[in-house]
Amino acid sequence: MAKKRKWWSGLLVLSLVGVLFTGCSTNNTAGSSTSAPAATTAPAESTAPDATEAPAADAPVDGGTLVTSSFSDIVNINPLLVNDTASGDVAQFVFAKLYNLDREGNVQAEDWSLAAALPEISEDGLTYTVKLKDTAKWSDGQPVVADDVVYTVEMAKNKETGSPLISAFDKVKTVEKVDDHTVKFTMSQIYAPFLYALVQEIVPAHVLKDVKPTEMQKNAFGTDPAKTVTSGPWKWTAWKQGESHTLDADPAYWGTVKPHIAQIIYKVYADQNTEVQAIMKGDTDHISAIPVTQVEAVKADGKIDIIQKPGAQYEYVNFNFDGKNFPDGYGLFQGQKTRQAIAHALNRQGMVDNILKGVGALMNAPFLPDTWADPGDAAVNYDYNAETAKKLLAEDGWVADAKDGILVKDGHRFSFELQYNAGNSRREQVAAVIQQNLKDVGIEVKPKAIDFAAWIDQNVTPGKYQALLLAWSLNTPDPDAESIFSSKYFPPAGQNSGWYKNEKLDKLWVDGYSTVDQAKRKEIYKEVGKEISTDLPYVFLYQYGQAIGTGPRVHWAEEDAPEPSLGYGQFFHAIKWWVTE
Amino acid sequence: MTEYLIRRVLQSVLVIFLITILTFLLIHAAPGGPTQVMLAPGLTPEIFAQQAKNLGLDQPIPVQYFHWIGDLLQGDLGYTFKNHIAISDLLWPRIGNTIILMGAAWLVSLLIAIPWGIYNSTKVYGLSDQTASFISYLGFAMPTFWFGILLQQWLSLKLDWFPLSDMHTRGKEDSIADLFMHLVLPVTVLALGFLASYMKYARASMLEVLDQDYIRTARAKGVKERKVVFRHALRNALIPIITILGLDLPILVGGAALTENVFNWPGMGRWFVEMATAREYSALMAVTIVTAVMVVIGNLLADILYVVVDPRVKLGKQGGKAA
Repeated sequence: MAKKRKWWSGLLVLSLVGVLFTGCSTNNTAGSSTSAPAATTAPAESTAPDATEAPAADAPVDGGTLVTSSFSDIVNINPLLVNDTASGDVAQFVFAKLYNLDREGNVQAEDWSLAAALPEISEDGLTYTVKLKDTAKWSDGQPVVADDVVYTVEMAKNKETGSPLISAFDKVKTVEKVDDHTVKFTMSQIYAPFLYALVQEIVPAHVLKDVKPTEMQKNAFGTDPAKTVTSGPWKWTAWKQGESHTLDADPAYWGTVKPHIAQIIYKVYADQNTEVQAIMKGDTDHISAIPVTQVEAVKADGKIDIIQKPGAQYEYVNFNFDGKNFPDGYGLFQGQKTRQAIAHALNRQGMVDNILKGVGALMNAPFLPDTWADPGDAAVNYDYNAETAKKLLAEDGWVADAKDGILVKDGHRFSFELQYNAGNSRREQVAAVIQQNLKDVGIEVKPKAIDFAAWIDQNVTPGKYQALLLAWSLNTPDPDAESIFSSKYFPPAGQNSGWYKNEKLDKLWVDGYSTVDQAKRKEIYKEVGKEISTDLPYVFLYQYGQAIGTGPRVHWAEEDAPEPSLGYGQFFHAIKWWVTE
Repeated sequence: MTEYLIRRVLQSVLVIFLITILTFLLIHAAPGGPTQVMLAPGLTPEIFAQQAKNLGLDQPIPVQYFHWIGDLLQGDLGYTFKNHIAISDLLWPRIGNTIILMGAAWLVSLLIAIPWGIYNSTKVYGLSDQTASFISYLGFAMPTFWFGILLQQWLSLKLDWFPLSDMHTRGKEDSIADLFMHLVLPVTVLALGFLASYMKYARASMLEVLDQDYIRTARAKGVKERKVVFRHALRNALIPIITILGLDLPILVGGAALTENVFNWPGMGRWFVEMATAREYSALMAVTIVTAVMVVIGNLLADILYVVVDPRVKLGKQGGKAA
């Protein structure tokens, strides 16, 4: 009997351990840049990365295999459902987009775009007419036609599909087929960022037309290579879950520019460290994120070319303005001077130099540096100055407590919890710097790392925290960020999780997207930059980047080099790359 | 014996059933669900809600449970939530891969540990015994992932003797020799861990038996030492070792997540962590079931082997003849 009890309890313990494992686990998504796409930013006026000495300028050769990799597998490459980095990586090799971005982030009809020319926009800014190339074909031989575009947009707009594209297309009133190769979009309002929404892969209506929106996620299109009809230079021929994807050049590809590389293997590694070892061994030719801590070691190896440049993402500290999150309902961040003092107290340049090893740029507004919407000097730059910080805090009524030096106002100690996701080493380090910097001016910070899924579920989405350390990863080059900062988007339905309300900004965001005249928009975003950097719902920390590593087999001409400042820019112009053995 | 086994199997089924309920409830109590993990945080809760509805995750937990258990009884392990792929398509190949890795490591360690442990029990504190002790400490103390990375750095990256990671070289999926080369490093790491404990068990168990009266009697009667060890002592010493081996059986399918991660081995351990991270309830339940079944089988096998090794053991019968 005693023995029986032992194995019964053994089973129970096993299952409990399994469950605990679930509770404690962290998340790949979290480990990386973590964050929402959806926000928008300006086109990056960058030049080809100068760190790339790579690829020989010899004549391209056809054939060969490029092995690229990631540390997470795809979820679904159906363009209607793509919402994670790995799925986006694979999708952009096998699906053609209506339009593509050039290195500066401008929308273009390229040789490999489905559209034949830039869209015609009506004078009132309300209709966009898109002409498709009549040569474009799906991998099953069917032509790519207006019906496919209409179907894609209608499915994306339909709430029942649960598509992450909904926010890009919900201002489209109607989408109509004019003829087989012409589509007309009529907007319900002028919405300038819509041009970037057209930088989008589409799905084949002839394959999916009978699928109900609610069944889209369960459909094999996007998860079964045999059932995924594609339109890009490569076809998706095999997927070994958790191991690799095989993409073969489509012999019937319609584009005038054909891919040089015959086969792409997209390998899945367990984590970034394993991936870095693999590129050093030559098991993979291209990785898109070498951890900052390992960049020097990889450089020392001498075989790998590294492209290091800030990307389309920025980190921030988000204050919560909802008093309910603080003891006695006393919001610590209500005073504008208090927030400005915190900005002065943080050594942002120190974070860039020491934690990001120089691969980052300070930011004062939610627009990436050197882009057309960057407000430049119009935004307030908070230099690192503890004395100024102390002075501002004193002006706002904070007085140092005689016992421990922590500031007190109306009987409330200036002590708050700074939440971030566990497992992100960059944030762990930054949180420690913030804690030290603010301690120097009399503010107590209690950094708290939480498992990603639990954090999003219980704190971020419902707006329940005191302060966050988080980042936005921007997936379109448009500067509109209404959905993050406007009081229209309070939790739980919106992304303004800090409950920030500023009526002037609320209006400016609408003004910003209600004209398609870029010069006017630039002026508006300058005003946004000034207002937001003065009022400071966030302390904008820095734009940061991940180092792209490429092995000696991969080659490109300089104008086709990877462009880290663009979403999926690590594969910029991959159609023109070539490999040697 | 047959009656005993039947009773044992029925009890096991009941236990597994209770475990599924417990696991299901506990997993659902953990924060975050498949949709949260699948979607970036910036997307609105409406999209979460719609995705969850499309996947049936908005149903009450008992309803979800009965759907799942109903499918299971028909041999259907369900589908992943994030991309609707059949769990069985994902599970079985990984179990196979893990059995190859863990089985090899287990076998290597057994083949070394048992004879070595037995030998050391006859020469306590000799050079061999002390060497074994040192290796045991090393095996217990050294973190497997660290040892793994060390081997990769030296034997793969620097000397280029073995592949760095994965199960096969691309294009050589059918080659046994290639698989063997890929096994060397992870098996070395895992075997060292197993070796340490099995050697200790074998030595301790043998020492205990050798200390018993009937062995002394045999020796006193002038039976040769070799005969004492192999004929008289070994059988009895094997019983506790068999217990340990039986209880360890589930590790053959459970995998070793860290080692699988370091060597990018597409096995169960790594997959389980992935699925746990993604809150893939069906996948976690499938792993729980498989592991639970393995625990039961391990116990049954251990019991059966007792009888084989030592016929005096009459399981489940009260009042068996005392020996």
